[in-house]
Amino acid sequence: MYKVAVSGINAVDNPGPGVGIAKGLKESSLNVSVYGLAYDAMEPGIYMKWLFEKSFVMPYPSAGEEPFIDRLLYIKSNYGLDAVIPALDAELPLFIKSSSLLESYGVKTFLPTEEQFKLRGKDHLPEIAERIEVKVPETRIVTSYEELSKAVEELGFPVMIKGIFYKAYKAFNISQATSYFNSIVAEWGYPVIVQQVVTGEEMNVVGVGDGEGGHFGLVGIKKLWITSLGKIWTGVTVRNEELLSATERFVSEFKWRGAFEFECIVNNKDIYLIEVNPRFPAWVYFATGVGVNLPDRLLKAALGLEPERDWDYPAGRLYVRFTDDFVTDMSEFQRVVTRGEN
Amino acid sequence: MGNKLSRIALNDEGFIFDPETGNSYTVNRTGLFILRLLKEGKSEKEIVKSLTETFNVDEREAERDLIDFVEQLRLYGLLEGKNV
Repeated sequence: MYKVAVSGINAVDNPGPGVGIAKGLKESSLNVSVYGLAYDAMEPGIYMKWLFEKSFVMPYPSAGEEPFIDRLLYIKSNYGLDAVIPALDAELPLFIKSSSLLESYGVKTFLPTEEQFKLRGKDHLPEIAERIEVKVPETRIVTSYEELSKAVEELGFPVMIKGIFYKAYKAFNISQATSYFNSIVAEWGYPVIVQQVVTGEEMNVVGVGDGEGGHFGLVGIKKLWITSLGKIWTGVTVRNEELLSATERFVSEFKWRGAFEFECIVNNKDIYLIEVNPRFPAWVYFATGVGVNLPDRLLKAALGLEPERDWDYPAGRLYVRFTDDFVTDMSEFQRVVTRGEN
Repeated sequence: MGNKLSRIALNDEGFIFDPETGNSYTVNRTGLFILRLLKEGKSEKEIVKSLTETFNVDEREAERDLIDFVEQLRLYGLLEGKNV
């Protein structure tokens, strides 16, 4: 029995990937027991006992390495812990930095390197695009109103106004551009990305790189229906050779290690790179559902077992998300609040 | 024939799925009839002939409708190259 902790179990309107990862692990050929790592007693995953045998409230990564690692070691010594699959951007730097330390305690991970993690910044996109020979929407990085108005003048409306890591808005005139610029600066700070709008199909690829230039499977999808927050609600698998080979070039050029999501806009033969996420997306169960169980493969790689590499998934498989609910006892919540675990 | 057309999935009810873009479309009975012939690699002349034989249309009307339909397919990226 392998004991694996998974974070991002906030299955809310902006869902974390944890529940999807846990569902994949439950379908593993290995005997896996999944623990949930939460940051709030209200995270729904804590109460989903059919997926998470136990859950633990974690200190915020911003509180520092020591309390965070101590908490993981507490789990290890009291309940056993063989591996962790972190799923949130905010905790990845800490996990990456502490991976050898955790390994020395027998807690395995399979993560990107620090350099690879940095590529998630949208300011790195032109560099990635050049190395893997894909296009990138024309981009300006701005830090003032003056630079903003110069950028929109050069690019022409409409333009995308984006935070370096989060948020993206389409602006049709200077007053909208300024207002989105302000809102991004207020929430996420500088710099702000101003980008040409490119047309085409928005497609994403999820995969796990082996760290040596190869991978343990890729699955390409198109979002058919998204929520007001831009989160996928219905999707379909696609087999777009240009997109998949661009993703393979990305994996081999950067020797990507661990989970990733590769977001593109595809216009016939042109691939525009929009974003790279250094972790599983929240829809990762889609891959498991089409026979490419990426969470399971990542776990095997972390444990030092040889994962499968086949990824001949069919195009035209449909992904449907839905809302669900259940009733449990208040004592469950009470235990999480008072003991920090349940 | 454009490679693309051979890859699209087409069912008996006129539902089309493009596995490269993830887009889906529906066509009526006539559209389905034409698409099947295009997939078989039939020429414009052959398709017009089949149309006049199967539906109650004369050659000119069939030709005009075929050109319209083919343009629509091109617009949606379902047809590449110049097969008709």
